[in-house]
Amino acid sequence: MDKIVFRLIGIVSLFSISLWAANQMNWMELFGVEENISSTEQKVGELLWEFYSANNTEVTKDDLLLPIDSILTKICESNSIERDEIKLHLINNDEVNAFALPNNHLVIYSGLLVAVKNEAELSGVIGHEIAHLQMDHVMKKLVKEIGLAVIITMTSGNGNSQVLLESIKTLTSSAYDRSLEEEADFKSVDYLIKADIDPTAFANFLYTLGGNNPDAEELMSWVSTHPYSKERAEEIVNYSQKKNYKAKQVLDSATWHILKKEAERL
Amino acid sequence: MISTPKFAYKPNEHEAEKASYSYLMSLIAVIVGLPIPIINLFATFFFYLANRNGTYYVRWHATQALLSQLSLVFINSYGFWWTVSIIFGDESVSNHYISYLFVVIIFNFTEFIATIYSSIQTRKGKHIHWWLYGDVTDIICKPGNGQNSI
Repeated sequence: MDKIVFRLIGIVSLFSISLWAANQMNWMELFGVEENISSTEQKVGELLWEFYSANNTEVTKDDLLLPIDSILTKICESNSIERDEIKLHLINNDEVNAFALPNNHLVIYSGLLVAVKNEAELSGVIGHEIAHLQMDHVMKKLVKEIGLAVIITMTSGNGNSQVLLESIKTLTSSAYDRSLEEEADFKSVDYLIKADIDPTAFANFLYTLGGNNPDAEELMSWVSTHPYSKERAEEIVNYSQKKNYKAKQVLDSATWHILKKEAERL
Repeated sequence: MISTPKFAYKPNEHEAEKASYSYLMSLIAVIVGLPIPIINLFATFFFYLANRNGTYYVRWHATQALLSQLSLVFINSYGFWWTVSIIFGDESVSNHYISYLFVVIIFNFTEFIATIYSSIQTRKGKHIHWWLYGDVTDIICKPGNGQNSI
């Protein structure tokens, strides 16, 4: 019996030592894993954005874009996120929606600008989408819903428009797993606090969406892609209460009013 | 790691062929079952069940073949579910993951070669005794049970 125990320890030790030795190698660099992942995401992102932008109208008005850009820049700079890596797009659409596409495309609908009551609510949504991008949720969702094989086919130039349409649909109008949504919510709160923006406004926005206003229900795509809004609003409030923050305005009130007015006019 | 001690008796042609099959089963199952790690365990387990009342030589080798698959199932299953969680879950490819896969492949390959060798040698009627698994098989498998050639 002693011999068996000794030999068992021997095999376990051999496995552990082999694992330790293998771990000394930098496999990620050797196989260029990071570069491959990033190049795949880049290709998928560009393909999807090309397809999406061809079928939607992008707003290029400075009165609308610059204030959003200021909020985005403030969040990024306060959280050591490379602002230049995020590509901001404003789409002329009445739906209350915002979403992230691979390769750091952040898409906001003009309907969202109309729906939010203040810049802190808008910042919360932007922070939430940045969190999805930064935490690699977008590619994970795509791989899960569409499949790795289809994505590789897509990047090799063999993807058809049906696949692209399916991918866009998945990313724009279906929810992430609840755990990913919660992760993005909490990350967004962290981003907002570091940027001196009130995170409870984001909770208020979610709570309002969770109210399911029957008149506007069909317009609120962000509700369908971000379920359990009320519960999540409560969790955000609880999480925020544990943090110390000083809320400051990013935009002056005149700029905010112009943004709202211009968004309503679209 | 592998020794060829003298067996309690000289197995006949039919026994040597059957004992050889117990190793062959896991090889075929590896080809069929990849990448599902449990298939080769099932294959050797069913072969073991079918031969648990066989002669001592056949039983002994069916048991050793089964035990040798058992430990691989644990490390392969861990690697399999790790891969699944990378593809469908929140995990991402890391240096630890690739290191683990590398070691798993080395261990599987070693086991694969040892299994081929054991299958050939048992077919010749030689008694192949694996390090650790052979010792455990000696405890589990006694000459008194089942049909005995002696």
